[in-house]
Amino acid sequence: MKDLIKDTIGKIKKEHIEPESKWKYLIRKYGMWFLFGMIVVFGAMSFSSAYYLLASLDWDLYRFVHSNRLGYSLSIFPYFWAVLISIFMLAAFFEIRKTETGYRFSLLKIFLITIGGIIVLGLTMSFLGLGNRFNMMMAEGVPYYGQHMMVTKESQWSNPQEGFLAGKIITSSSDEMKITDLNGKSWNVLLSETTLIRPKANVSVGQMIKIIGKSLSSSTFQATEIRPWMGGNMMGGDSGGQACMSVQTDCPMQKK
Amino acid sequence: MSEENVRSDADLIELSKKDPEMFGLLMERYQGPLFHYIRRLTQLGSDDIQDLLQEVFIKIYQKLNEYDEELKFSSWAYRIAHNHIIDHFRKVGARPQTNSLEDYEWEKIISASVHIEKEIINKDCVEKVKGCIEQLPLKYREVLILRFVQELEYEEIMDILKKPKGTVATLINRGKDLLVRNMKEQKINCF
Repeated sequence: MKDLIKDTIGKIKKEHIEPESKWKYLIRKYGMWFLFGMIVVFGAMSFSSAYYLLASLDWDLYRFVHSNRLGYSLSIFPYFWAVLISIFMLAAFFEIRKTETGYRFSLLKIFLITIGGIIVLGLTMSFLGLGNRFNMMMAEGVPYYGQHMMVTKESQWSNPQEGFLAGKIITSSSDEMKITDLNGKSWNVLLSETTLIRPKANVSVGQMIKIIGKSLSSSTFQATEIRPWMGGNMMGGDSGGQACMSVQTDCPMQKK
Repeated sequence: MSEENVRSDADLIELSKKDPEMFGLLMERYQGPLFHYIRRLTQLGSDDIQDLLQEVFIKIYQKLNEYDEELKFSSWAYRIAHNHIIDHFRKVGARPQTNSLEDYEWEKIISASVHIEKEIINKDCVEKVKGCIEQLPLKYREVLILRFVQELEYEEIMDILKKPKGTVATLINRGKDLLVRNMKEQKINCF
């Protein structure tokens, strides 16, 4: 046994074997954590994109398309981002396990660290307004996503045949409005006594609005409900608070 | 007690980085346990084990800057030995055997896995059970050796194999179950 020690020390000296540089090790070690961090960042970008879509879509429209809440929600759910988030979570799990001490983390701990990081960072990105930008970048970079997979507020409200229209008010009177829709097409929107105007909907010239109703021709739309373009959409479908009962009541439209 | 004997592993590692002679003191501490670890996992003769052990110590020396003081040095050294053995057998394209265990070492695995009512185990029976243990895949054999022959704690096995605690526990239980199943299949019922 003594010879082994002597031989080994002799070999180390003779062959000038030296401990590998600490830098190499640290680069490898922190490189793994950096990769993990990058995966979480990409997961957070996906989360903020999904959050943007979830928050901007109107989830109560199922009532107008003869569907149930679950069926409609499933039809507009941002699966693309959900799949990406799942992939990033899986990648983060394997990446953390590949780190020097990763094997010491339980599955639950890794899950909580990863999902916590993705949610916190994703919400921060959403707060900074990056969710929409990521969606646009993806739509430009991956045309298939933009054309077939992305369900946005805009696509949801560019559907006059289904009864959903949105646009900017060009002219407005008590029984009719002219609007330019999101594709730049002009529409005459007819209002009736039963048209519901949400209190937060500002129907002044130049304002963006969402309209639920029925397409009467290629340029005429009968409105049954008018909602503000911004706000109040997430899941609840309140879309602007308590209803302003009709065009005859004291609504923003009449104040004009 | 000499000064070298009271120095901690961490101190000796720091000294070894500057002076290879000091690495000899670390080798002196761990050559015995590592020699037996390699012997238990392989079917190699003493000279081949010494060659493997030297390669393991040189790897340890080269990786001294990677040592993380959160680990026990022994666990870290066993880990390097474990990886080196796996690499070695991958290179030579052979399957490591475990029949180089001493009889008392076999008995430790057998009594941990099988309920034994009799105090003295029949020699023939031990031979038959050895065969069943040898049929176990390496991952189960190794974990049974670490736990019941080396008598290491779960945490140390975790650090050596770089596997989560739950996985280590599962490997041990599956290894024991597989051993009992092998024995049943071969109708070994001599305890």
